[in-house]
Amino acid sequence: MTTKDEVIDKERRCFIRRATAAVGGVGIVAASVPFISYWMPSADTEAASAPIKIDISTVQAGQQLTVPWRGQPIWFIRRTPEMLDTLPLLNSTLRDPNSDEPQQPSYARNIHRSIKPEMLVAIGICTHLGCVPTYRPDKGSISPAWLGGFYCPCHGSMYDLAGRVYSGVPAPLNLRIPRHMYVSETEIMIGQDSEGEGE
Amino acid sequence: MKRYLLILLFLLLPCAVFAEEEVKIALTPAPIDASDIASIKRGAQFFAANCMSCHTLVYMRYNKLAQEAGVTYEKMPVNIKSWPYGVSPPDLSLEADAKGVDWIYTYLHSFYQDASRPSGVNNLVFPNTAMPGIITTFQGTQVKAEKLPTALFHKQQWFDLVVLEKQGTMTPDKFDQTVTDVVNFLAYAAHPYESSQKSLGWWVLGFLVILFVLAFYLKKEYWKDVKRK
Amino acid sequence: MQRLLAWFYARYPWQEFMNNHLSGYYAPRNFNFWYYFGSFSLLVLVSQIFTGIWLTMEYIPVSDGAFASVQHIMRDVRFGWLIRFMHTTGASAFFVVVYLHMYRGLIYGSYQKPRELLWLVGMLIYLVLLLEAFTGYVLPWGQMSFWAAEVITSFASAIPYIGKGIMVWLRGDYSVSGVTLHRFFALHVIFFPLLIVGIVFVHLVSLHKVGSNNPDGIEIKDHKKDGIPVDGIPFHPYYTVKDILGIVVFLFVFCTILFFAPKFGGLFLEPENYIPANPLQTPEHITPAWYMTPFYAILRAIPNKLLGVIAMAAAIAMMFILPWLDRSKVRSIRYKGTRSKIAITAFTICFIGLGYLGHEPVSPLYTFLARLFTAGYFAFFIFMPFYTATEKTHPVPERLTE
Repeated sequence: MTTKDEVIDKERRCFIRRATAAVGGVGIVAASVPFISYWMPSADTEAASAPIKIDISTVQAGQQLTVPWRGQPIWFIRRTPEMLDTLPLLNSTLRDPNSDEPQQPSYARNIHRSIKPEMLVAIGICTHLGCVPTYRPDKGSISPAWLGGFYCPCHGSMYDLAGRVYSGVPAPLNLRIPRHMYVSETEIMIGQDSEGEGE
Repeated sequence: MKRYLLILLFLLLPCAVFAEEEVKIALTPAPIDASDIASIKRGAQFFAANCMSCHTLVYMRYNKLAQEAGVTYEKMPVNIKSWPYGVSPPDLSLEADAKGVDWIYTYLHSFYQDASRPSGVNNLVFPNTAMPGIITTFQGTQVKAEKLPTALFHKQQWFDLVVLEKQGTMTPDKFDQTVTDVVNFLAYAAHPYESSQKSLGWWVLGFLVILFVLAFYLKKEYWKDVKRK
Repeated sequence: MQRLLAWFYARYPWQEFMNNHLSGYYAPRNFNFWYYFGSFSLLVLVSQIFTGIWLTMEYIPVSDGAFASVQHIMRDVRFGWLIRFMHTTGASAFFVVVYLHMYRGLIYGSYQKPRELLWLVGMLIYLVLLLEAFTGYVLPWGQMSFWAAEVITSFASAIPYIGKGIMVWLRGDYSVSGVTLHRFFALHVIFFPLLIVGIVFVHLVSLHKVGSNNPDGIEIKDHKKDGIPVDGIPFHPYYTVKDILGIVVFLFVFCTILFFAPKFGGLFLEPENYIPANPLQTPEHITPAWYMTPFYAILRAIPNKLLGVIAMAAAIAMMFILPWLDRSKVRSIRYKGTRSKIAITAFTICFIGLGYLGHEPVSPLYTFLARLFTAGYFAFFIFMPFYTATEKTHPVPERLTE
């Protein structure tokens, strides 16, 4: 009835309103968690994206094996010693000859961009706009000076036999080397190494 | 006339018991404890070793507990075209929800010798089942008991109707325990999310109690205006 | 911030809306327990839409894949079981809430003039909701989904001459198949929800035109002071705050069922539906979902196929014409005569009785009871013009009693 009562009412009202709104807000946020989590990969998607073991014993010298994983082509190329010899000759024509950009795990940060020199393991997706480059090992096939490598037909990007990108082509980066490890002489596990799992 | 009709009705009442060919059997409650993970794992291992040559559990394909216990999709008899006895063994992923755990528990206890069946066995809960006597190895062979006098309101359970002739590899207690584990595993297989469901439920209800207290005082406070009028 | 709001308010009638329909919209001060169910219906509708959309992200609407996709959601998708159970519990909750909402209208005469249109629009929502629920139940493609679809679409064949043709047209095939499933998916996910949202909007607009009724059945607009009904209170903040409280209690009950008993003893999720659809084997007991069982009981009570279907349709049609059957000068059951009170009580018993019987297998006793309850159900409506016109009613007060 008195003005003093009305003032107390307003403060109490304000407090309860804010407290209810705060707790209600927490509830709404909590209730949205299942809806957001629902979008995360489901158990079967995770299983399909799990690391896979590939047998490379059938890959002959100079041959390319392509295996799909996580929707991407994974290349296995058994390089000959002649192919490996071409790599240092190209350093001056490449954008990132020393693999300074983070396109590979630490154990692939060398001139042949692999664990074992002869076996290249790379993700076959052009770093320009995502096409799958073609494997062109024959010398002189793309141009007279061509020493072998990969050619992307979409916009003409070129990579050497270690997947290193040439200068002056649209692609900005070397081909990505995925996480991988040798589980035996003839088997490579893609998507897993001593540091963990993933790409 | 009325009296005679009443007496006739009374006399005919027990005939109701003989009205059916098959004996109606009351399901025995399955003593499973869904929180007993060890029991579920044992049930899974037994299932993988003894049931999975015929039965699939396709919806458990990505379930970690099942995989670790040996129930792996690669070992399941998926896509087999023909089976002996004609009918193909059903997938059991949802059996616990479709039939109920008590049904499965009682079913696994209720096999008895029956020479008239192609498989040599029959089942009290599912008469003329096509399932062969796998259970017999463990439980032993049972035969139908001599017909016991039927008390009108007594619901007979499986042990009233069959008698163990020769024990199998398990004592009755061990067999009960094993079947309990298998049923527990099948219940888990039907709804593996159940434990998260229940624990989340308690949190949600607790939260709602707190919110209720606040909402209650909020309403009371504002409605003072209305009550005052 | 204030300037941003001012820019917005100058271009959108937000403040006018808030004023006309919330803080400046007057509702009777004496709303009781029965008045919660409208806002609960709106809450459940929103929940069904959100959970439903999320389910369509993982559900496969093709006969070879539907059942498995539901299991995929329950087991492999994170929190999939929760979203799915929210949807199934919500479907049943929707009918609990809508039936109680309709019952409120029945007992307080909220269908009487000038709210006849409001009642008709509400009945339309109910009808579309039944279709939405039916098409939704088919989607998991379990045994009950399939056979309920077979039975309910076969009602069309009761129509003379053109019935069989209509049934094939409805199904898109000569018996219920993946074709039927896929079109029911389109209806359930897009057509009926859009229709429901549109009709609910019309429902709220027609409510705000005439204003709410109340438990005393008195028109609060008859007594105004300075243009405001003396027995009215602004909807906001009083009923917003009261409805928030009601919603918390509703959520408590809803979540108890959702987290601890989503199957609800086999009523919300039937055991037969855990078996994939088999066109070559009918389950022992086919029943529709619990919210359709009263009408199913009426159908089975009539021993003639065509007449049974007509009776079932008439049972719903009677509800539509209720405003014109009630000849009473009094709205609310509080002031109606003894005959109306007995009639409504009898009707309630008949409806619940029919609901129970619709779920049970047929037996001579049950058939007799179903016929009795069907007679009672229709008598409530058919004799209403007579018992409401002539009964002795209680005097209706001028002002609200609370």
